[in-house]
Amino acid sequence: MSLAVAGRIARRELRGGIRGFRVFLACLALGVAAIAAVGSVRESIRVGLEREGSVILGGDAELELTYRFAEPEELAWMAETASAMTEVVDFRSMAVFGAGDSAERGLTQVKAVDDAYPLLGVARLQPDMDLGVALDGRDGLPGAVMDPVLISRLGIATGETFRLGEQDFVLTAALMREPDSATGGFTLGPRTIVRTDDLAESGLIQPGTLFETEYKLLLPEDTDLDALKIAAGKVFTGAHWRDRRNGSPGVARFVDRLGSFLVLVGLAGLAVGGVGVSAAVRAYLDEKTEVIATLKTLGAESRTIFQTYFIQIGVLTLVGLALGLVLGAALPIVFAPLIEARLPVPTEIALHPRPLAEAALYGALAALIFTIWPLARTEDVRAATLFRGGAGQSRSLPRAVWITVTLLLLGALVAAAALFSGLVDLTVYSALGLCAAFVVLVLAAALVRRLARRAARASALRGRSALRLALGSVGGPGGEALSVILSLGLGLAVLAAVGQIDANLRGAIARDLPDIAPSFFMVDIQPDQMEDFAARLAADPAIEKVESAPMLRGIVTEINGRPAEEVAGDHWVLHGDRGVTYSDLKPDNAVLTEGEWWPADFNGDPEISFAAEEAAELGLKLGDRITVNILGRDITATITSLRVVDFSTAGIGFVMSMNPTAVAGAPHTFISTVYADSDAEGAILRYISNAYPNVTAIRVKDAIERVSELLAGIAAAITYGALATLVTGGIVLIGAAAAGVRARTYEAAILKTIGASRRTILVSFALRSAFLGAAAGLVAIIAGGLAGWGVMRFVMDADFAFEPVSAFAIVVGGVLATLLAGLAFAWGPLAARPAGILRSRE
Amino acid sequence: MTDTILSLSDARLSLDGNAGRVEILKGITLDIVRGETVGMVGPSGSGKSSLLMLMGGLERATGGQVRALGHDLTALGEDALARFRREHMGVVFQSFHLIPTMTALENVATPLELAGKADAFERAAEELKAMGLTSRMDHYPAQMSGGEQQRVALARAFAPRPDILLADEPTGNLDTTTGQTIMDLLFGLRDRHGATLVLVTHAPELAERCDRVIRLEDGQLVPETALKAEAAE
Repeated sequence: MSLAVAGRIARRELRGGIRGFRVFLACLALGVAAIAAVGSVRESIRVGLEREGSVILGGDAELELTYRFAEPEELAWMAETASAMTEVVDFRSMAVFGAGDSAERGLTQVKAVDDAYPLLGVARLQPDMDLGVALDGRDGLPGAVMDPVLISRLGIATGETFRLGEQDFVLTAALMREPDSATGGFTLGPRTIVRTDDLAESGLIQPGTLFETEYKLLLPEDTDLDALKIAAGKVFTGAHWRDRRNGSPGVARFVDRLGSFLVLVGLAGLAVGGVGVSAAVRAYLDEKTEVIATLKTLGAESRTIFQTYFIQIGVLTLVGLALGLVLGAALPIVFAPLIEARLPVPTEIALHPRPLAEAALYGALAALIFTIWPLARTEDVRAATLFRGGAGQSRSLPRAVWITVTLLLLGALVAAAALFSGLVDLTVYSALGLCAAFVVLVLAAALVRRLARRAARASALRGRSALRLALGSVGGPGGEALSVILSLGLGLAVLAAVGQIDANLRGAIARDLPDIAPSFFMVDIQPDQMEDFAARLAADPAIEKVESAPMLRGIVTEINGRPAEEVAGDHWVLHGDRGVTYSDLKPDNAVLTEGEWWPADFNGDPEISFAAEEAAELGLKLGDRITVNILGRDITATITSLRVVDFSTAGIGFVMSMNPTAVAGAPHTFISTVYADSDAEGAILRYISNAYPNVTAIRVKDAIERVSELLAGIAAAITYGALATLVTGGIVLIGAAAAGVRARTYEAAILKTIGASRRTILVSFALRSAFLGAAAGLVAIIAGGLAGWGVMRFVMDADFAFEPVSAFAIVVGGVLATLLAGLAFAWGPLAARPAGILRSRE
Repeated sequence: MTDTILSLSDARLSLDGNAGRVEILKGITLDIVRGETVGMVGPSGSGKSSLLMLMGGLERATGGQVRALGHDLTALGEDALARFRREHMGVVFQSFHLIPTMTALENVATPLELAGKADAFERAAEELKAMGLTSRMDHYPAQMSGGEQQRVALARAFAPRPDILLADEPTGNLDTTTGQTIMDLLFGLRDRHGATLVLVTHAPELAERCDRVIRLEDGQLVPETALKAEAAE
């Protein structure tokens, strides 16, 4: 009964239009749109990766072997199973263009292929030609195609020759798109494609060299992939299986994580928008105080009143959600060509219902959370308000039931976000962080008001009318302090946190790491080259230190006889193959935390020394038995010691070290780290690559640069997300400034009446805005700094240093934003004539 | 020799309303001398408040001339008018019009500060003390009763010792007893400080406390002869 009445009253009330709800709608729509758009793009990539799974993989299934080719029986099994097959060899090398001192050298990720490549998709080349023709070469030299990045780095043009190892190639085309690029472009060296046969004389593929062979298979349509995977496991040892259902697990995981993280940033935007939503509903209901009192005089119960306005706000929420969903769904479609061009992965941009439903759910819950309290205030309006005034005088907190409802809704929102993002810990920490930021900002607003009130009364400010007026209004009742500091502060805090984390991460990698990291990693040094190589480097006065170790690669397959992943789950040590070394004697710099190193010339059952931290994470202890597959052979070793391995210095660090006889006979190479003066790096690179064409020198500075670029990209994506939050904050700010026009016009009229000039009034308005902006900025950098410290300390396990430049920019940004919003709405109050204003209030 | 402090000559005021242009004041000619108290009466909508606003420079005449202390208010700009009020005028409204974000003390001190008085707060405190508001100095307008707010407004108007005090129905929003107290305070202050007072009121007994009563009807002054005849009857 009461609901029907409430519905009728609500309908009549809505006749007044949605004036005053523009900020409400904009905040809700923008928050929902940002989440819907990010979710849609993430879904588009997921669907795209799924659809293009075979093309990305280069076949229906792939078997990857670590530095070995398939044995005859393995080849026979593949030939029997697949309708077509191609063999791809993938390794790192140095491309050398020119000769002598003027030669240019560049690290490249070589893909050596056969004539069947590619089974699916096409390689797009410039000039446009068939890959087979391009690799045929010309003038008796084999052909190669190269990523344009490497072409420009080497300064080479098509038709010119370059060297890989000891083999010359003619560059026939630029590789614009690689058909099967499961890495999504995230590799240290840009791609070069050649034929495997043409590498025979290069000296690059030798026993022990670090290379991978990928056998890509096209399968009959009705193949049971799961059954085939099991069958392959029986034929192959140490092979890594992938199939079209998840052609690019690394990229898919990365996109999913980044997308989910951006959705969480979007939720921060929705929280900021919530401040605007709440303020709009509060202002609307304040205006309705007399209507509510009248309705109560006429016999309406509190429940009916609540329902009346709940229905109104509900209708407006639906409008806001619809606007947001349309915008969020349309944006990726409109910008599809731009998005597709920027992303290195296939996308299927279309209308995806799942992310839209997710965004709608977040929007609806946020709207409820932020409107329940203002709606509950309608209960406090008494009929007597009509006769003796008292509008807006209500309890600061609503009844316990509404607090409980709000907390339940908040719990539902966090649970939904955790469920959809799959990042439970991050969601919970983000939610706690946001709630903490809210509390901090509310407390900060109260503190700012108190300080402003105190300062306004300070004798030092007497006579400075504009300043005192500004402080007085910041500190006085009904000020905008809370909504401005909340909305702007939250947006700026997110931006400050991103700025601090980004600066610290980049600082750690680009600034601190080069000081402690080696200049080069030299890999693929053949054992017979090692003596000469070491002597040559030792003779170079520019080289401070060289550390070398033998290196094999192996996959941890079992722990104590059980499949490794079953025992230790999804740990990085178990992802793919890991470096393994051996040493007869305990290296001088090795620090054992438990157990003992095997005796010299130990010849017993295989023993292994494991990295202590990783062992703890995997749940390993002394005496556990680990099976490592090296070159197709399973070696089971007992953990007899644990040692400290510090990966943060980028020096040589092996998770596993075995006694030499355990891996006796396995072909292997050496890895060296070379610490040298940075001025001498060019010369070292030259003489090493001239003397040992098969050795690949990875310049650490280049690798750091590549990682920094990747980090910059991620930081940019997150900054865009944070900017969406800030735009919402801007709308709330404008809303607050617009809502304050009436009060300011009145204030200006009184001030003019008692003799204030327009300049004094304008300066006072500007100072007021600037104070609030500066306060929001200051609180934001404190909150952002704390969040940054938490992430660096507990998530990244790294040191934190406060970064002042972005912090300063944020305070200045806060001041400018409030100043602009405040001044944009100052002209009306300044221009209004006092008589009309004052009389309208009589 | 009489010292004219306020002088209106054929002052007119027209405003654009929803129903077109409305002539509110239709040629007012009036002189008020220094120290005089003038009561302004008339029915609602007759233009009393508008005339007061013209005198205070809060409204700009659309015709004729308004002079105060020898200055032509119609020729002064917005800020010059503000400075003029700061130095020479105090205004009291029916709805008090205190600045809601300022305490009582700050409200009273503000015009003194604007006038560059170094002891603005001390003087403001004295004014409030004289009004019996010592305990309310740190209260915001919303925390005070109507009578208290109007007393603060009176203190604010008198604090700079204005030459002219304009009061627009200062008791209109108050009960009779409180209104009486306010009027006693208003006349007491005027007597003490010797300001010229122009008082708009609906209450004949208040108007009678003034040296002279002028009556407005339909935007025009009723001639004094007519008023005297009315009084004689």
